[in-house]
Amino acid sequence: MIDRAGADTPLAPSWEPAPYEPPTVVWDESASVDAAPIEPAYVPVAVDYPVSSDLSYDESSSGRHAAEQAGYEAPVTTIPATEPEHAPSHTASSMTMAEAVVAAEATIAPADPFATMEIPAVAVAAPAAVSFTKAAQVPATTVTPSGSTPPPTASPEVKPMRASSEPDVPRPIGGKTLDDHASFWGSLLGSFGLLWVIYTQLLPFTGRVGFVILWLITFLLMYAGVSAMGNPSQVVLDRTVAAAIRAGAMIVGLALASAVFFTFWKGIDALVHVNFFTQDMAGVRPTAPLDQGGIIHAIAGSLIEIGIAVLFALPLGVGTAVFMNEVGGPTARAVRTVVEAMTALPSIVAGLFVYTVLIVTLGVSRTGIAAACAIFVMILPIIARASDVVLRVMPGGLREASLALGASKWQTVRMVVLPTVRPGLATALILGIARGVGETSPVLLTSGASSYLNLNPFSEPMNSLPLFVFSSVRSGEPLFIARGFGAASVLLALVLVLFVITRRLARTKVGNR
Amino acid sequence: MTALMDPPSTPSAPEPTPRVEDVPRSIDPGLPRSDKVFFGVSRAIGYSVFVLMGAIGLFLGLQSIPTFKRYGLGFLTESQWQPEKDILGISAVLVGTFTVALVAMVIAFPLALATALYISEYAPAKFKSFLVSMVDLMAAIPSIVWGLWGFFLLQPKAIHVAHWLHTHMGWVPFFNVDTDPNAAPWAQSRYAASAFIAGIAVSMMVLPMAAAVMRQVFSQAPIGEREAALGLGSTKWGMIRAVVLPFGAGGIIGGTMLSLGRALGETIAVVLIISPAFDIKFKPLEIGTSTISALIAGRFGEATSAQLSALLTAGFVLFIITLIINTLAAMIVARSRSGAQE
Amino acid sequence: MTTAPEVNSLIPTYTDAPATDVVHVRGGSLNAVEISAWFGSNKVLEKVSLEMPANTVTALIGPSGCGKSTFLRILNRMHELVPSAKLSGQVLLDGDDIYDPGHRITETRKRIGMVFQKPNPFPAMSIADNVTAGLKLTGTKIGKSDREALIERSLSRAGLWKEVKDRLKEPGSALSGGQQQRLCIARSLAVEPEVLLMDEPCSALDPTSTRRVEETIHEIKDQVTVVIVTHNMQQAARVSQQCAFFLAQLGTPGDIVEAGPTVDIFGNPKDPRTEDYVNGRFG
Repeated sequence: MIDRAGADTPLAPSWEPAPYEPPTVVWDESASVDAAPIEPAYVPVAVDYPVSSDLSYDESSSGRHAAEQAGYEAPVTTIPATEPEHAPSHTASSMTMAEAVVAAEATIAPADPFATMEIPAVAVAAPAAVSFTKAAQVPATTVTPSGSTPPPTASPEVKPMRASSEPDVPRPIGGKTLDDHASFWGSLLGSFGLLWVIYTQLLPFTGRVGFVILWLITFLLMYAGVSAMGNPSQVVLDRTVAAAIRAGAMIVGLALASAVFFTFWKGIDALVHVNFFTQDMAGVRPTAPLDQGGIIHAIAGSLIEIGIAVLFALPLGVGTAVFMNEVGGPTARAVRTVVEAMTALPSIVAGLFVYTVLIVTLGVSRTGIAAACAIFVMILPIIARASDVVLRVMPGGLREASLALGASKWQTVRMVVLPTVRPGLATALILGIARGVGETSPVLLTSGASSYLNLNPFSEPMNSLPLFVFSSVRSGEPLFIARGFGAASVLLALVLVLFVITRRLARTKVGNR
Repeated sequence: MTALMDPPSTPSAPEPTPRVEDVPRSIDPGLPRSDKVFFGVSRAIGYSVFVLMGAIGLFLGLQSIPTFKRYGLGFLTESQWQPEKDILGISAVLVGTFTVALVAMVIAFPLALATALYISEYAPAKFKSFLVSMVDLMAAIPSIVWGLWGFFLLQPKAIHVAHWLHTHMGWVPFFNVDTDPNAAPWAQSRYAASAFIAGIAVSMMVLPMAAAVMRQVFSQAPIGEREAALGLGSTKWGMIRAVVLPFGAGGIIGGTMLSLGRALGETIAVVLIISPAFDIKFKPLEIGTSTISALIAGRFGEATSAQLSALLTAGFVLFIITLIINTLAAMIVARSRSGAQE
Repeated sequence: MTTAPEVNSLIPTYTDAPATDVVHVRGGSLNAVEISAWFGSNKVLEKVSLEMPANTVTALIGPSGCGKSTFLRILNRMHELVPSAKLSGQVLLDGDDIYDPGHRITETRKRIGMVFQKPNPFPAMSIADNVTAGLKLTGTKIGKSDREALIERSLSRAGLWKEVKDRLKEPGSALSGGQQQRLCIARSLAVEPEVLLMDEPCSALDPTSTRRVEETIHEIKDQVTVVIVTHNMQQAARVSQQCAFFLAQLGTPGDIVEAGPTVDIFGNPKDPRTEDYVNGRFG
C-alpha cells in the first residue's frame, strides 16, 4: 500500500545524512503552526535525521506521480534504499494481495481533490523516520488508546501507554456459535432417528433412496423448527435455505461422483484384461469370456472420426469466428445468426441429415467418413460459436494499438489477436472435441458398426466408443455389458484427459495475463 | 498564443463563402496484398460456413414440405407412428419429448440453482475454482455415460421412488400409473423404463449448463449492493434475495431455457432407458414413452424415403422448437442487467 | 478523551420533518480496544484503540492505505466478508463486545449501520422501497401508515425528503449521485441504528452534494453516533467533534498516531506527524 507520507522525498539538494540523535530533536513548533511555508521551516530539522530508514520504500508511489502532476518542481532526491533492520520484511509485492478494502482505499487517492496537493515530503517523512525508530525502541510511545500523545520531545523513557504488550493473536470471527452447531447436528441426528423409527418400524417402507430423500426433508423441517426456538424468522430462513442449498449442491456432487465411479467400477472387469485394449471383436462369440476380444477397433474408430471432423471443423470454425469479428460487415451478422441458430441443432438431427444426404441420396455406404461428416456438422457451430465468444471478449484496444503501429489487419490478427486468445480458443476447441467424441447419436446413424479393426474411413463400416457402448449394453448379454462399461470407462478417461488439458490451458491464460 | 485568442472577426478572417454541401470523400483503404488475401480467405470461410449451415436448415425445411403435403397438419396431431398402415404423426412423441424435458427441468432447475448459489455464495473461496471446473467436467461427460448411470444405477432405485409417489400421491393424475400400487408384489416393471427415469438422467446432462450460466451471472452481482444489504443487517439469504437473485434473474431464466433446449434434443440416454410407446399420456411414472430423438434413432434404419422425410420433418420440428427456446434464452440473458454489463 | 465530547441536545431536530415526529433514538458509544487486523499474513492494523463516544462525530483521517477503512469495517463486522480477513481485539458497543460468539452478526450490523463510498441504492427497488429495505431484509414488520411515516422521517433526516417526496415510486438509481448517497443514508437511518459508519461518503460526490451530506451528518448526530472516514481535511474539520489520525509506514501495520478533539488535532496537534499531515493539506 502506498503511504503518501513516504513518497519519494524531494529534499533540498544540500541534504546530508546526519548521525541519529532522536532525543535531541527539537521540533520547531512555532514554525509549524502556521505552516504555510513548510519546506524551509523543516529543512534544518530534516538534516538532523538519519538516512536510516523508511524513506526508500515507495519508489513507484502514486504520491510521487501526484506530486509531479501537481507541478511540484522541487528536485527529487531518491533516498538510498537501506532497509532498516527492525523493519518487517514486507515488500511492496506482499501488499498486492487481492485485498479489496485496502486496495480500494489506495485507488481512491487520485480522485481525492487533495491527493494532488502532495504534502511536502520532507515535512512528513523526516518525523516519520523518527517516530519509527522510536517505536522500535519503545513500542508503546506513539499510540495511546485515549488519544493523548507523548510530547514531541519524548525521550525513550516515556512510559508505555499501551494497555497490554501481549502479542495479538487473531480471534475467531464469523465463526459459528454453539447454537449454530448444536441445531445443525442435533437436527441431523434427530431427523435420522425419527425417520428411522417411522420408516422402518411404523410404516412398511423400503429402499435406501427414499429414506435419504425423506431424511433430507425431515432434517430441513427439524432444523427450521429447532432454529425457530431461539432465533428470529430471518435467521431461521437463512439457516434452512443455506442447508437446502448445500444439500442441493451435495446431491449434484454425488450424482457426478457416482456416475464417474460407477462407470469405472463396472468397467474394471473388462479393463483388467490387456487384450481389451489390443484386440477387436472379430470372431468373438457372444458368450466368449472377457479375456477374448477387445475394443481397439472402437478406440481407433473414435480417434479417426473425431480427427477428421476436427481437421475440417477447426479451421472453418475459427476462420468463421475471425471473419465475424475481424472482417465484419453486414454479412458477418447474417453468418453469426445462422451459426448461433445451428448450435440449437440436436445431434440426432445432424446425424439424420448426413444419413439422408450422404447415405440414402448420394449412396455413400456407412463408413467412418460419413460418421466424421455427422460429427463435423454437429461440432462446427459449437466451435465457431465458442471461438466467436472468445474473440468478442478480447479488448478492442489491443487491436487498435496494433493497427496504430502500422500493422496490417492480417498482421494484427496473426501477431496480436490469435496469440492473445489462443488459450481461450484451445479451450473452446477441446470442449468441442469432448462433445464430439462422446456423442452417440450422429455415429449411430452413419458409421455402421464393424466388429473388426478398420483404419480406412473411406470403405467398410467403422465402430466407435459410444456406439460400441450403446450396442453392447443393448445386447443384454452380461459379458457384453461388462465390455460396454469397459469401453465407457475408456471414453470417460479420454474425456477426462481432454478436460485436464483444457484446465491446464485455462490456467496458462491466467498466468499470462 | 495570442493569435489563438484573437476574435474571429479580425480582418484576417476569411470572407464567408457560399455554402457548399459537404460530401464524404472516398477513402482508399490501400490494403496491402496480405490483407487482401486475408480478407478474401476469411470471407470465403465465413460464407462457406454460412452456406453449409444455411443449407442444412434449408434442407430440413424443404424436406418437410412433402410430408406436410401428404399428411397435412395431421402430422402434428396424430399420435401413432405406423408406417405399415401409412399413419405417421408426432403428437405422442412431442408430448413425450416435453414430458421428459419437463421432468428433467423440474429436477435440474432447483439443483442447478442450488449448485450455482453454493459455488458463488457459500463455498469456501479456496474451493471455488475447483467446484467451477467440476461443473464444467459434468458438462463434458458423454451422454452415453449418463445413460448407463440412469439405466443401471438409477433405475432400480428410482422405481421405488416412483412407486412411493404413486402410492401416496396417486390422486394427482400426473403421478398415476395403470396398476394397483398396493398389490402384494407390486408390479415393478410398470414403473421402469419411464419418462420419469429418463428425465432424471437427462436432468444430470443439462444441469451443468444451467448451473454454469447462473453461477457466472451471480458472481457478477455488484459488491456494493451486496455490502449495502449486509450492512443493513441482512442475513446472507436476505442479501441473496434482495441483490443476487434480482440481478441474476436473466441468467436464471436464460440458463434454464438453454438447458431446456438441450433436454428436448437429448437422444441416447432416453433411447437407452425408455421403452417406446406411442400414446399421448401424461403419466411420466409409467413405463413407456417416446421422444422425437428416440423416434429418429429407433426408426431411421427401416425407413423408406417417404418415412425418412417424415423423420426429418419430426427432426425439423424439434429443431425449430429448440431454436425458438435458445433464441429466447439468448435474448433474455442479453436484455437482463447482468447481461448488459458484459 | 481529554475533553468531554460536545454534548448535544437529545431532542432531535429535523431539517424539514413535521414537528410531531418524535424519535426515541440515541447514539450508542463505540469503543475499539486493541484492534489488530490481518489480510492473510499481511497485518494492516496493530493494536489500535479508539473511543467513539455516543452522539459525537468521529473522523478517521490519514493517508491512503493506513487502515482507516479496514478499521471502520471492523466496527460493524464487514471486515470478515473478506475470506482471508483476521482480527484480534474487541469492539465494545455500549460495553458489549460485538465479536462475542453470543452476538448475532445481523443484529450487530443493524445496530451499527454503514454508508459506503460509492452510493449503492438497490436498483431494482423504488426510492421508498430502498428506504425500507433494511426493515424488509431484517424481517421487521411495519404497518402501512408507520411505513409511510418512517419513509418520510428517514428521508427528512437525510435531507432528501423535499427533493423526492413526489417521486417515491421511481427507482433509486434514477437519482443523482449525491441524492443516491443521501438515499443510502436514509436507508441506513431507517433501521434506527445506534452508530452510523461512513466510509468516505463524499469521495464520489460533487462539492454541492458533499455540502448537503455534511449538513445531514451534522443534523443526525443528535440521534446517532457517527464515525466517518475521510480524505478531506476540511470535511473532517467541519463535521467532526473528535478526530483520529491513522498512519502506516511501509511494511508496518497502520496505527493511530493521535486522537482527540478535532479542535486540538487541527489547532494544536501534539504529534508532529499529525501537524504535518493536517497542515500539509492546507499549506
